[in-house]
Amino acid sequence: MSTGNEVMHDGVMSTGEDARIFPDVEACIDCGGCVVSCKRTWDVPRDEQRISIATMLEGQEAASGLNASSGRAMEQSESPGETAVPMQCYHCSNAPCVSVCPTDSLISKENGFVRVRDDLCIGCQYCLSACPFGAPQFPDEDEGVANLVGSGGNMDKCTMCEERQDVGKGPACAEECATDAILVGTPEQISDELDNRDSGTFFNDVAMDIIFGEDASEFQ
Amino acid sequence: MSNLDHGKFTRVTTLFHSLLGLDVFLLFFTGYAIMFNDELWWMLTLMGGASGVTAIHRITGIGLVALVVFWITLQVISSTGRSNFAKILPAKDDVDAFIQDIQFVLGRVDERHPSARQFAGYKADEVPLLSYIGKGVVFIFSIELTLLAISGLLIWSKTGLAAMFQTKAAAMAFVTFHGLLGVIMLMGVMFHIFEHGMHPAFYPVETKAFIPRSMVPEHHGDDDEEPDTTGIERLSLSPSWRTVSTVFGAMTVIGIVSVLIGSIFDEGYPVPREIAIGGGPSSILLTVGINLGMVVLGVGLVLSMYGNVLRIRWEQQLEQEREPTTAADGGEPQTDGGQPESDDTEN
Repeated sequence: MSTGNEVMHDGVMSTGEDARIFPDVEACIDCGGCVVSCKRTWDVPRDEQRISIATMLEGQEAASGLNASSGRAMEQSESPGETAVPMQCYHCSNAPCVSVCPTDSLISKENGFVRVRDDLCIGCQYCLSACPFGAPQFPDEDEGVANLVGSGGNMDKCTMCEERQDVGKGPACAEECATDAILVGTPEQISDELDNRDSGTFFNDVAMDIIFGEDASEFQ
Repeated sequence: MSNLDHGKFTRVTTLFHSLLGLDVFLLFFTGYAIMFNDELWWMLTLMGGASGVTAIHRITGIGLVALVVFWITLQVISSTGRSNFAKILPAKDDVDAFIQDIQFVLGRVDERHPSARQFAGYKADEVPLLSYIGKGVVFIFSIELTLLAISGLLIWSKTGLAAMFQTKAAAMAFVTFHGLLGVIMLMGVMFHIFEHGMHPAFYPVETKAFIPRSMVPEHHGDDDEEPDTTGIERLSLSPSWRTVSTVFGAMTVIGIVSVLIGSIFDEGYPVPREIAIGGGPSSILLTVGINLGMVVLGVGLVLSMYGNVLRIRWEQQLEQEREPTTAADGGEPQTDGGQPESDDTEN
């Protein structure tokens, strides 16, 4: 479902089926607004977060002339300097977590969302080992049977606010982001927006193939 | 002593075999309910759902580690253990027997090596009690169980493993190794159940793994002289053997093949989608086949329990046949064909 650009925040270009979520690392200022909005929207427990901001090379300057262009620096195999990356579930096209889940608890839905089926999850944490983005969380690992046998408890992760998208709203993190550092839309829309901003993708080809599958070519 | 009803294991070994079997069966049932969750949905539900099945798997995993540690300790500290271990070490005869068996299969030689002629009517002084096949079973299962226990402990906490090896790929590699080794062992256990349950001379269960050698007489004759034969000529084939062994053999083959195909075609654990050659939803045939494999395991579990029942019956029979050396009143024991005295207060 797409509800058109005119009613949406700048970073949220379209929602619903085939919508993807991807960070613009040049725009992220590590304010934590996305973390707060996600926690507030979904009542995420204190010690868990479905989105986090990973700060890389903290306090370091990028290679000459690339201090404000982390993505370009990465493309040129230069140091990007301090970079803040909003990390969450990117609902990958080739989701490794879905591939390794032994109980089919994780599924790639036809509309593009990667969903956890709580009743099937056994807390084995294989998805945690497989996900390159650290998306899977295990908030129940100290409760009940999980505590007794040392398993992970039910897995929890970013849902990309599927329920909000179903009614035409963008994910809470993206709607709330003051600098529009979290982009939501089709791969083409996200690629165009990054080009307009002269921002790179930051992630390498392997990660882009995992996230976007065949649509990764949109970003080349 | 004949090779037909020989007891070649000690009491501790037979008890250990039963405990190990019970523990490994539980590990199989839980592990495969996780792995083939599509095909074995009913088993997953029966064992307490998703969280129950992983709890049972991990607790029985600890049981396996305890049994392995106990067994290794026993082998080291007891003289019986050390001498038994020496007996199962591969020797030149085993290599010769293996080579000759291969040649026999290929039609290059007329007969099997004497060391491989167990159960063929030979006596113990003609053919060793332990062939290279028996030694192979012990070593293969020992190595598999040790590797499964080590890899299982390592992947208990994936975050711990990743922290230890500093890479998620290491965690997934151990997971894949654990799963594939489990599939290989499952196939071996299915065949183990078939070969020891459906042997025509011992059907429905070969008792040597349940009745310790201390309880098996040297021979069954009425006099003290060594008999000329093993007694194989006095055995009669059970009327149901042909049908049951055929059906059970078919189930074993279908189960083994289905588990193997399922592990290759089912995307996900232990073969990730990227390297699975099949993928997609499980077929009805695969579901039936894998469930047949679980039935074979179930029969193995029942036979294991039945083996212990036979041991108890055997003990009772020995007790009844034991003639007291002294009657309760201090007189001579009754030996005139009547029932032996059961009063053994002075024994």
